Amino acid sequence: MSLAVTTEQEDLRTAVGRFLDARSPVRRARELMAGEVPHDADVWRALAADLGVQGIGVPGEYGGSGVDVQTLAHVFEEAGRVLLPGPLLATLGLAAPLLVAAGDGDAQARYLPGIAAGTTVATVGWLAPGAPWDAVGGAATAVRRPGAGWFVDGRVALVLDGLAADLCLVVADAPAGPSVFAVDAAGPGVDRRRVRALDPTRGLADLVLDGAPGTLVGEEGAGRALLDAALDRACVLLAAETVGAAQACLDASVSYAMRREQFGRPIGSFQAVKHKCAEVLVEIEGARSCARYAAWACGASPEEVPVVAVLAKAAGAEALFRAAAENVQIHGGIGFTWEHDAHLYLKRAKACQVLFGDTRAFRLRLADRLGL
Amino acid sequence: MTDSRTVYRAARSTAAAVDPGPEAEEFRREFRAWLSEHAPPELRGVGWPAVQGSPHAAALKAWGDVLCEAGYMCVAWPREYGGRGLSPVEVAIMNEEFDRAGVPRVTRGRAETTVGPAIIAHGTEEQKAYFLPRIISGEHVYCQGFSEPEAGSDLAGLRTSGVVDGDELVISGQKVWTSGYYESTMMFCLVRTDPDAAKHAGISYVLLPVAENGPGTGIEFRPIRQLTGRSGFAETFLDGARVPLFNVIGGLHQGWRVTVTTLGHERGNRATIAHVGYARDFWAVVEEARARGLTDDPAVREKLAWAWTQIETMRFSGLQLLAALAAGQDPSARAENGSVTKIRWSEYASRFGEIAVDLLGPEALTAGGTGEEGLGYWQEQFLSSRSGTIWGGTAEVQRNIIAERVLGLPKERKGAGR
Repeated sequence: MSLAVTTEQEDLRTAVGRFLDARSPVRRARELMAGEVPHDADVWRALAADLGVQGIGVPGEYGGSGVDVQTLAHVFEEAGRVLLPGPLLATLGLAAPLLVAAGDGDAQARYLPGIAAGTTVATVGWLAPGAPWDAVGGAATAVRRPGAGWFVDGRVALVLDGLAADLCLVVADAPAGPSVFAVDAAGPGVDRRRVRALDPTRGLADLVLDGAPGTLVGEEGAGRALLDAALDRACVLLAAETVGAAQACLDASVSYAMRREQFGRPIGSFQAVKHKCAEVLVEIEGARSCARYAAWACGASPEEVPVVAVLAKAAGAEALFRAAAENVQIHGGIGFTWEHDAHLYLKRAKACQVLFGDTRAFRLRLADRLGL
Repeated sequence: MTDSRTVYRAARSTAAAVDPGPEAEEFRREFRAWLSEHAPPELRGVGWPAVQGSPHAAALKAWGDVLCEAGYMCVAWPREYGGRGLSPVEVAIMNEEFDRAGVPRVTRGRAETTVGPAIIAHGTEEQKAYFLPRIISGEHVYCQGFSEPEAGSDLAGLRTSGVVDGDELVISGQKVWTSGYYESTMMFCLVRTDPDAAKHAGISYVLLPVAENGPGTGIEFRPIRQLTGRSGFAETFLDGARVPLFNVIGGLHQGWRVTVTTLGHERGNRATIAHVGYARDFWAVVEEARARGLTDDPAVREKLAWAWTQIETMRFSGLQLLAALAAGQDPSARAENGSVTKIRWSEYASRFGEIAVDLLGPEALTAGGTGEEGLGYWQEQFLSSRSGTIWGGTAEVQRNIIAERVLGLPKERKGAGR
C-alpha cells in the first residue's frame, strides 16, 4: 500500500463530503452547540449505515471493514472541514484503537460490533482534574470485590464526548498499576457533568464515578501502554481533521479576498493579503504531507508511528491555528462577529492545539521519542 | 531511547511508501550491486556538490568519469539522448542508494537538471546531437547567465542585448550572480534580441562558450565576494562576445518559453532529495549539542524537534509526489508545487543555520574553522543559507506565484511583467 491516494479513497471522500454538506454543514454545528450534547445521533447512525465510516476502524472479524487508518484519515479531513460535532475522534480515534491494541477477545467481541454498526458511542477517560495530559493514573481507582467483579471510583476530567458516550474506557489505578476498565457511561455509579468548552462543537464531560461496575480490558497494569497506543492513533486522525479544517479556512479566506473590495480593488490583489494566504497554504501543504504520511505509517510502517504521530498532530494544529487566525483577519470586522463561522474554526484550532498536549509539549515528546 | 531512535530511523525507507513497482525494485538491486562494487572508499562521507577548492575535486572528477562510463550520468534524460530514461521514482531510488552507500552522487549540476531538459524540449536534432553528449561527458560545464544587476527576481527585466551579425549573435551587457563561473566552459544566458518587442517576446536563450572567450575576447568574470568570504559568484561583463546562431535554443526571440521550462526544473528538482542533506546536518548538530551537554535543555530539545519536523515534512511531501507518480497520477494537479517546496527548504535552512550557531555558545563568536574567513562549518551554513530565500526567485516572489497561480488571487494592479 503506497502513500498515493487511491480511487476508492477519493470516492469515499467525495461521498462523505457530500453527506456532510447535506446532513451536517457548519450551520448544523451551530445548532448542536446551543444544546446540551453536541452530537447528532441520526447523523452518526447514517455515517455507519450509509457509508460504513465507523467500520473502517474495526477489524473484519468484529463487524468492521478492517483497520485502515489511511482511508479513515480522509473521513477525518472531511469531518474537520465542516467542524462535524460528535464522537468521531473519541470513538474511532481513541476507543476503537485502544480496544484493538488491547487484543482482548472478550472486550472486542462485546464492543467493536456496536462501534462498527454506529450503535455504540465510545470514549476514553484518563485525566485527573488539573493533571497534565501525559499523566496516567490518579484519576480513578479500581477495586475487585470477590465474586462481584471490578468497581471504579474517582473523577475523570475532560472526557471527549462523555455525554454522548455509551461506553467509557476508564484508565484507573488497580493493584497492578493503571489498567483499562470498560464502564457503562450511562450506567449506575456514573454521574456525567457537561463541561462548557472553548470549542463548543466538541463535547467534553467530567465523569464522577462512585462504585461504577467496570470490566477489565486487556491485562491488569497495561493501562499506560494501551493509552499511549490509542493516543498515537488519535493524534494521527486529529492531524487529518485539522488539515481539513485548515483547508476550509483557507478556502474561505481566498474566496472572500476575491470578492471583498477596498480602495477600489479586491483585497486579494494586495500583496499583504496574498502573502498571508500563500503562507497559510505552505503550512497546510506541509501539515497535510505529515498527516497523510502518519496515517499511511499506521498500516505500513508501525515502527515510525510513535514519532510521526506526534509530529503530525503538532504540525496540523499549528497549521489550523494559523489558517483560522488569518481567516479572521482577512475577513476584517465581519470575521469578528458571532454570525460568521470564522470564530468557530478559531476555537476549534486553539482546542486542537491544546488537546492531548500543546505544541511545546508535543515537540518535547517528539524529542524524547527521537532519542535526542 | 537509542533503541526507538534506531528502529525509527531504520524504518524510514522510500520503497514501501512509494510502491515503485517490480521494475524499479529490479533497478534498485542492480544499482546497489554495482555501487557496492564501484563506490570509491576515499569519497565515503564526502558531500556533493563540492565547493570551490575542494580537496576532493580530483577524486570527485574520477568518480564522475566512472559513473559516466557505466551510464549513470544524466539518468533522467531519455536514452536516445544518452541518458537512462529513469523515472523520477527510479532517480529517487538511485539517490537513496548513493546515500545508503555513503558516497556522493556526482551530477552535471545545472547542465543536467536545467540546460539539458531545455535543449531536449526545445532544441533541434542537430543541437541535441552537439550539446547533450558534451554535458554528459563533463566537457561542457555551464554557469548561469540569467540574473542582471537591475533585474533581480524580475527575470524578464533584462537588458543584455544580442545583435544578429551574419550567422552570429554579438552579445553585450552585464550579468550577475554567475555561480560556478570558475569551473565553467559554457554559460546559458538570456539576451534581449528584439528591443522593440513586448517584455517577454524579444528574448533569446543562448548557449555561450566562455572558455574560448575570456578577457579581451568579450567575456570577463569579476568574482563577487559573498558574505561568507567566499567568491562562488561573479559579475560577468559581456562586451561584443560572439556566438553562432546555432547556439540559440528554441528559436530567435523565443527564449522565454525555454526559460520557463528551465525554471520549472530548477524549482522542482529538490523536492525529493533535499531532506537527505538536511537530515545529515541535523544529526551532526544533535551530536554537537550532546557534546556540549545541551540536549537536556528543553528549549534546545524543542528547537531540534521543530527542525526534525521540517525535515520530515520535506521527506513526506517528496514521497507523496513520488507515490503519485508511481501510481500513474499527475501530481501537478496538487497544490504542492515548486514554489511551496522552495519556500519550505529555503526558510528552514536559514532558521536551522541560526539554531546551529546558537548551540555553539561563545564559540560562535570566534572563527576557528577552515573556511576562507576561518569560519567553521555551522557558521558557514548560517551565513550561506541566507541566499536560499533570494536566488531563483525570492520568497516574496514565490508567495506571489502561489497566491496568483495556485490560489487564483488577482494580480497586483501595478504588477507589470507578470
